[in-house]
Amino acid sequence: MPDVFGISVSALQAFQAAIAVTSNNVANASTPGYDRERVNLTEGVPQSNGAVSMGSGVMVSGIGRSYSQAAANQLNTSQSSLGQLTALQSYSTQIDNLFGTTIGGLSTSLQNFYSAFSDVANAPTSTASRQALLGKAQSLANSFQNASSELNNLNTDVNSRITADVTQINSIASAITTLNKQIVVGTAQGGGQVPNELLDQRDQLVSNLSQLVGVSTTTDSNGALNVFVGNGQPLVLQGQTTALTTVPNQFNASQLEISSGPLNGNVISSSLTSGDLGGLLAARAQVISPALNQLGQVATALSNTVNSQQAQGLDLSGQFGAAIFSVGAPQAASSSKNTDATTASVTVSGLGALTANDYVLAYNAGAYSLTRTSDGGSVPLSGTGTAGNPLTADGLSIVLSATPAAGDQFLIQPTAAAASSLKAVLSDPSKIAAAGAVQAAASNGNAGGGTISSGTTLNAANPNLLSPVTIQFTSPTTYSINGGANQAYTSGGNIAFNGWQVQISGSPANGDIFTVKSNAGGTGDNRNALASASQQSVAVLAGGTITVTGAVSALITGLGSQAQQINTAQTAQTAVNNQALSSVQSITGVNLDEEAAKLLQWQQAYQAAAQALVIGNSLFTSLINAVNK
Amino acid sequence: MRVTQTFNQTQFLSAIATLESNLSQTQNQISSNKAFTSASQDPTAAGAVNNYNQALAQNQQYATNAGSAQTRLSTEDNALSQVQSQLQSLRDLALQANNSTISSQNRTSIAAQATQIQNSLLALANTQDGNGEFLFGGFSTQTQPFTLSASGAAYNGDQGQRQVQIAAGQTVADGDNGNTVFGQVKTGNGTFAASATSTNTGSGIVGATKVSNAALYTAGNGTYAINFTAPGTYEVRDSTNTLVSTGSYTDGTTISFAGVQVTLNGAPATGDSFAVAPSANQSIFTTVQNLVTALQAGGSSAAATAQLNNSIGSAINNIDQALSQTSNVRASVGARLNTITSQQSVSGSQQVQLETTISSLQSLDYARAITTLTQQNTTLSAALQAYTLTQGLTLFKYL
Repeated sequence: MPDVFGISVSALQAFQAAIAVTSNNVANASTPGYDRERVNLTEGVPQSNGAVSMGSGVMVSGIGRSYSQAAANQLNTSQSSLGQLTALQSYSTQIDNLFGTTIGGLSTSLQNFYSAFSDVANAPTSTASRQALLGKAQSLANSFQNASSELNNLNTDVNSRITADVTQINSIASAITTLNKQIVVGTAQGGGQVPNELLDQRDQLVSNLSQLVGVSTTTDSNGALNVFVGNGQPLVLQGQTTALTTVPNQFNASQLEISSGPLNGNVISSSLTSGDLGGLLAARAQVISPALNQLGQVATALSNTVNSQQAQGLDLSGQFGAAIFSVGAPQAASSSKNTDATTASVTVSGLGALTANDYVLAYNAGAYSLTRTSDGGSVPLSGTGTAGNPLTADGLSIVLSATPAAGDQFLIQPTAAAASSLKAVLSDPSKIAAAGAVQAAASNGNAGGGTISSGTTLNAANPNLLSPVTIQFTSPTTYSINGGANQAYTSGGNIAFNGWQVQISGSPANGDIFTVKSNAGGTGDNRNALASASQQSVAVLAGGTITVTGAVSALITGLGSQAQQINTAQTAQTAVNNQALSSVQSITGVNLDEEAAKLLQWQQAYQAAAQALVIGNSLFTSLINAVNK
Repeated sequence: MRVTQTFNQTQFLSAIATLESNLSQTQNQISSNKAFTSASQDPTAAGAVNNYNQALAQNQQYATNAGSAQTRLSTEDNALSQVQSQLQSLRDLALQANNSTISSQNRTSIAAQATQIQNSLLALANTQDGNGEFLFGGFSTQTQPFTLSASGAAYNGDQGQRQVQIAAGQTVADGDNGNTVFGQVKTGNGTFAASATSTNTGSGIVGATKVSNAALYTAGNGTYAINFTAPGTYEVRDSTNTLVSTGSYTDGTTISFAGVQVTLNGAPATGDSFAVAPSANQSIFTTVQNLVTALQAGGSSAAATAQLNNSIGSAINNIDQALSQTSNVRASVGARLNTITSQQSVSGSQQVQLETTISSLQSLDYARAITTLTQQNTTLSAALQAYTLTQGLTLFKYL
C-alpha cells in the first residue's frame, strides 16, 4: 500500500531538486558556455496489492542539458569562418588606411619627381633645378621605403599573432585533454550520468578553439572528444594532445609556418584555412605579400627606366649620366631542405613581362619547373640555367651556380624586396644627364637646303657612340658615312650609325656635309631630361600597357577592392554567425521568463505536495484521535 | 523562436556598435568633405582620382614649362627686334657712304659707327636668359656663342635647338641657335651673288640682280664670269670656261644669261670681269666687318671708288638678307609664342575639366550625406529607445 507520506516526501524532494536546477539556470543565465539544464522526473515504481497498482510518488531520474551537437557544430564552423575573415579584415583595413597617407603620398612623390625632371628640362644648366630633382628622387625613394616598411611591419605582426594563436590553441587543446580524462572517469562513475558542467566547459573550449582555427570533432563512446585541425591532423586524441608548433619557412626563416607535432615536423600551414590562424596566414599570402610585390614591381620599373634613360645622355661634364636610383635584384632563396649548396641568382631581363608573382623553381628528374605560388600555375621555362643560357620566364633570367640535386627547390621573389631596397644614390647634381649624347650639325658651306635632326641615342653601350662622324652627300640622292659606301638618301629617313640615329630632311646638294659628334659641352641641351620627364606617360609594365604612375593607381584600386570585398564577406559572415548563435542560444540559452514560470510551477507543485503531507497528517491525526477516544 | 535575455543584450550591443560606426563614418565624410576616406569605400573612384590627380599635376607642369618657354622666347624676340633696328641703322649708314661725293673723313666716321653697330650686334647675339644661359648658343648655353675675329665673329656654339614640352606629345623650341640666326645668312639676292673682281681697273659697278628663270639657273652649277673683252663688249663664260653668251655693253646694260639678269653700271675696262656665283652662307658679322674694311680702305681713283661702291652694294644686299633672315626667325618665334598661348588656354580649360571631374568623384554630396546622417541618427536613437523599453520586461518583476 503506497503511503501518502512517502509520496509527498518524494514529491518535496523532486520539486526541491527542480527548484534548485531552475535557480541554477537563473544563476548561470549569463555564464558563457552554460547550457540550460532541466530536471528529468519519472514516476516512482508502482506498487501493487494484487488488485490495483498505485503510483509511489516521483523521482529525479537525472538532470539533462539542452544541447544540440548539430547546432553547436554549425556555430563552430561559422565562428571559424568569421575568425578568418576578421583577422584578414584587420590587415586589409590597415593597408586600406594607408591610402591617403603612405600610398597616396607615394603617388604625389612620383608626380613630383617627374615634374622635377621637367624643371631640369626647362633649365638644364641650373644647379638649383638639378638639386631639386635629387631632392625629389630622395623623397620618392623614402615614400617607397615607408610604404614597404608599413607592409613589412604587418608581416612581423602576423608572425607574433601566429605565435600567440598557436600558444593559445595548444593550451586549449591540453585543457580539452584534461577534461576528456575527467569526463571519461565521471561518466564511468556516474553510471552513464554525464557530468554536465564538464561537458559545458569542454564545448565552450571547442567553441573558443574554433575561433582560432577551424576544427572538426568526433566523440568516442566513452565520452572522450577527438579534435582535428587542417586536413585531419589530430590535435586531441582521447587523453593525448598533439601540440602545434611554429617553424621557420623553408625559404624564408623570418616567416613562421605551422607544423603539427614537434617530431614529424609536418608543415600544415596550407591546410589551415579558417579561424584566426587561417586568417593570419591568408592575410600574409593574399594581402600583404601581393601588395609588397606590386609596390616592388613599380619600384623596379621606376628605377630601371630612369637609370637606363640616364645612361643614354650626358651630364654637365660630358660623361654618360650616373644612375639616380638603385634597387635590389630579385631574390632567390634556396630551400632549407635542399641537399646541396646550389644557389640561384635572378635578374630582371624584361620589364614588360615582369609580374608581381612569386615563383618556386624546382629541379626534378633532370628538368627545371617553375610554379607560381599564388595559384600553383606552371610557367613555361626556356634555357638551361647556365650563365651562357639562363633560364628565362616572365621577364626573369635565372642562373644556377651548379646543377642542383634532384628535389632542390628555390623560391624566387622578383619584386618582394624591391620597394624597401629602393634608394636614391645620386648626390652630385651635375651628374644628372639632361643632355643627349650626340649633336648633329649641317656644315655652313652646304649649298643645298638639307637639315639634320639633333640625333637620338639607340645604344648607349656602343663604344663609338661619341666618335665624330661625317655624312657627306656624294650626289643629291646618295650619301656616304665617314667615306664609306654610298647609301640612298630619303628625305626624313632614319640614318643609324655607331648607336645613334639622325634624320636628314630637305634637298641636300652634292658635296654637302653633315656632322654628328659628341654633345659634350652641350650643357644647355635638355633632350635626355625631356625624355626622362615624359617616361611618366610611357607604359612599361604589363607588356607595355601600364605606366609607372598608372600602376600606383591600379595598386590603390586593387587594395581598395580587396578591402571592400573582405569587409563585405566579413559583414555577411557576421550575419551568418549571428544566425548560428541565435539557433544555439534558442536551444541552450536561459530565458528568465521561462525560468520564472518554472519556478512558480515548481513552487506550486512543492506547496501542493506539502499540502498533501498536511492532509496525510490530518488523516493520521483523525485516526489517532478516533482510536484514543 | 526562443530568445534569451543574454543573447538579446549582446545582439543589441553589436547592433548599436554597428550603427554608431556608420554614424561616425558619415560624420567623418561630412567634416572632411570627402565622399570616401579610404580606398575600400569606393575603389574605382579612388584609383581614378589618383589618375586624375596625376593628370592635373602633369597639366600644371606643362603650364610651368610653357611659362618658361614663353619667357625665353620673349627675350629672344626682344633681342631680335633690337638686331633688326641695328641692321636698319647699318643699312642707312651704308647708303650714306655709297655717295661718291662723301669725304674720306665722313667715311671714316661712318666706319667707326659701323664698328659700334658691330659691337652692339655682338652683344645682342650673346644675350643671356634669366638663368644666365646664352640664348643663341644652341646646346652650348654656357659658352659665349660669338667672339670677335678678324673676319667678323667666330661662332662657338652648336646647332642644337632645345625643345620644351607644353602638352602631352607637343613640344616647342624655346630658342634658335646663333648659327642659324646670325651665321647662315645668304649672300647676294639669296640665289646668287654678283661681284666685281678686285683687279678690275674700270669703274664698273654691279647694280640690280634678278633671277628670271630659277630652274634654268639651278640646272647649271651656278658659277659664271662676265668678262669684258673690250670696253663695250662682254662675254659670259661658265665654270668650265665654255662661252655662254656675248653681247655689247653700255652703261646700265642688263646682261641676261642662264636664267639670271645682272645690271652693270659705269665703264668697265678691257680685261675687267664680274663673277656670278650661287649665294653662300655668310655671318652677319662678316658682312659688317667687310663693310668696315671697305670703308676704311676708301680710295680716290675711279677703280678704287668702283671697288668701294661694289663692296658697299654687296654689303647692302647682305644686310637686306640678314634683315629678312631675322624677320623669318622672329615670325617663327611669334608663331611659337602663339602656339604656347593657345595651348595655355587649352590647358586652362583642361585643368578646370580635371578639377571638376576630381571633385565630382571625390567631393561629398552634402544633401545626401546629411540625409544619411539624419537617418542614421534616427535609427540609433530608436534602437536605444527600444533597448531601454524592452530591458525591463521580465516576469521576475511581477513575482
